[in-house]
Amino acid sequence: MTMIAAQDQPAIPLNMVAAPGPLPAPDADVAAFLYYEARLADEARYSEWEQLWEEDALYWVPMRPEDDPRKKLSYIYDNRNRIKSRVAQLNTGNRHSQTPPSVMRRMLSSMEVLDTDEAAGTVTVASNFALFEYRYDQRVWAGRVIHQVRRTPEGLRLVSKTVHLISAGGPVNTLAFLI
Amino acid sequence: MTTLDHGPASVPTPEAFDVSAIVKNHRVHGSVYTSPEIFNREMETIFRTGWVYVAHESEIAEEGDYLTRRIGRDPVVVVHGRDGVIRVLENRCSHRANRLCNAESGNATSFRCPYHGWTFSNDGSLTAVPMRDGYGEEFAKVRANLGMSEAPRVDSYGGFIFASLAPEGISLKEHLGGAMGAIDRVLDLSPTGKIDLSRGWMKHLHHANWKMVVENNVDGYHALFTHASVYDAIRPAKVSHVPSKVEVVVRDLGSGHSEIDYSAEYRKLDEEFVWYGRIPRTKLPEYVEALETAHGPEKAHDALVIGPSHTLIWPNLFLAEMNVMYVEPMATDETVAYTAAVIIPGQDKLNERTMRRSEGAMGPAGFLIADDGEIGMRNQAGLAARDPEWLELSRGLETDFEDETGIVNSDKSAETPQRGFYRQWASVVGQETSA
Repeated sequence: MTMIAAQDQPAIPLNMVAAPGPLPAPDADVAAFLYYEARLADEARYSEWEQLWEEDALYWVPMRPEDDPRKKLSYIYDNRNRIKSRVAQLNTGNRHSQTPPSVMRRMLSSMEVLDTDEAAGTVTVASNFALFEYRYDQRVWAGRVIHQVRRTPEGLRLVSKTVHLISAGGPVNTLAFLI
Repeated sequence: MTTLDHGPASVPTPEAFDVSAIVKNHRVHGSVYTSPEIFNREMETIFRTGWVYVAHESEIAEEGDYLTRRIGRDPVVVVHGRDGVIRVLENRCSHRANRLCNAESGNATSFRCPYHGWTFSNDGSLTAVPMRDGYGEEFAKVRANLGMSEAPRVDSYGGFIFASLAPEGISLKEHLGGAMGAIDRVLDLSPTGKIDLSRGWMKHLHHANWKMVVENNVDGYHALFTHASVYDAIRPAKVSHVPSKVEVVVRDLGSGHSEIDYSAEYRKLDEEFVWYGRIPRTKLPEYVEALETAHGPEKAHDALVIGPSHTLIWPNLFLAEMNVMYVEPMATDETVAYTAAVIIPGQDKLNERTMRRSEGAMGPAGFLIADDGEIGMRNQAGLAARDPEWLELSRGLETDFEDETGIVNSDKSAETPQRGFYRQWASVVGQETSA
């Protein structure tokens, strides 16, 4: 399936590409950054996770891969300010659906570079993931995650993260942790 | 089921069902949320004899548009026929019961069963039976009755489509009664007098009885506790949750409908958009102008002051301010809640903001509903403890008063809505059934 988000919304990353053939693996530092992001989310290190984000951030969990978020409701569509609020709520320790936090470990695999923009200093990486969540019982979440990462003088930073859950067609369980 | 020595009333069998043994004026027996027999009875009564919300007209605006939904346990297709009529059809082939329509939504003039190719027009009639030579006289006698089964009554109000699987009963308007004003209140926010719910439904699995999910929506008592993390971390409540400080009321509208009504408090403040993040009207000039053109400045101002309704429409629809939620009960401890954003036709700037607000508050990742889901699941877990047997709904019992709008309580934390819900529940679930 091919879906390229509307061109006047550059903040929206490529969802999926009809890959012309094998795609390159990301540079080692980019892969390490994505593993770090995953680890912070797994370990409920909310504030450290928040620090990874750029100001033009987008954290997006659509209901369908082809959805235009301006026209269709998403499960999560957080800009930088909303990410801040989400983290602040989790940090109260009183976000019941994450009190205590879910015990989680996720695996990122099949990393492929979808796009590299030298001028903007960004690289877009798609990975498959499987996430094991334990909270009263064990649940499995899986899907494709697309990160856009920017090289800055301060190091790598997260511009966008789009999570295409294979179960997005729903119904979906409570998703109060950082997916 | 065993009866413990300290004696929870054993769960009544269908033959000896006495609803007064499980629902009192201000108490509900725990089995109401846990008993499979009672769940079955709810499906047979509430969802088979009364009006149930099924869809919104904006979702099937064109001829041929259809949606698959459920009424209780029955899968149904809500379809806008080529003759312009909206029908609710049982989603089952009349031949060997294969589910006919397997997409969530689409547009089709007919439904063809993938099993043996029987084909039905989107008005439900059987139009083609392949290899018909194999059928004889017996089939010819019944063929005319082999259309898709149709809900005998379908009606709508303000675009909200309801169906009843019972051929007889009160009209939709009689059923909605005092809740019609709640629908009007939402429509008053639209310059065209119409709303649109076609931007998608968030589907959230709740591990709780469906009644816990819907009762909670009109519980004015829980927010300060369940949602403290939102008020602490993000923004204070729109108006105080301390009942003595505000003119917010709860209201039992009759027939199981109920609401939390902020309008008196908002009119006292006389401030627009308090319900919408207190955004200044200058940020939405096109919308405000269109509303003023449609209604005149005075009525537009009042609509923008009081905002949309916060009203539960029996049994499965919740007008959640700028969201609409409906529920499908799946099992005693499992419910799917569907949430859409209320879209105002032609107001895209407003609508994008509304969708972002919906995502922030509602659904599986919402700042509010994720926690309601957790609390509902823990309710269900707590119900496994069989003692005490009863749940208490007596808050505000002595301060309820009746006026022309229903049974009202000036304390928004009163359990007046829940008492109204269970009065209706007892009357519907307690009825004689043929089952």
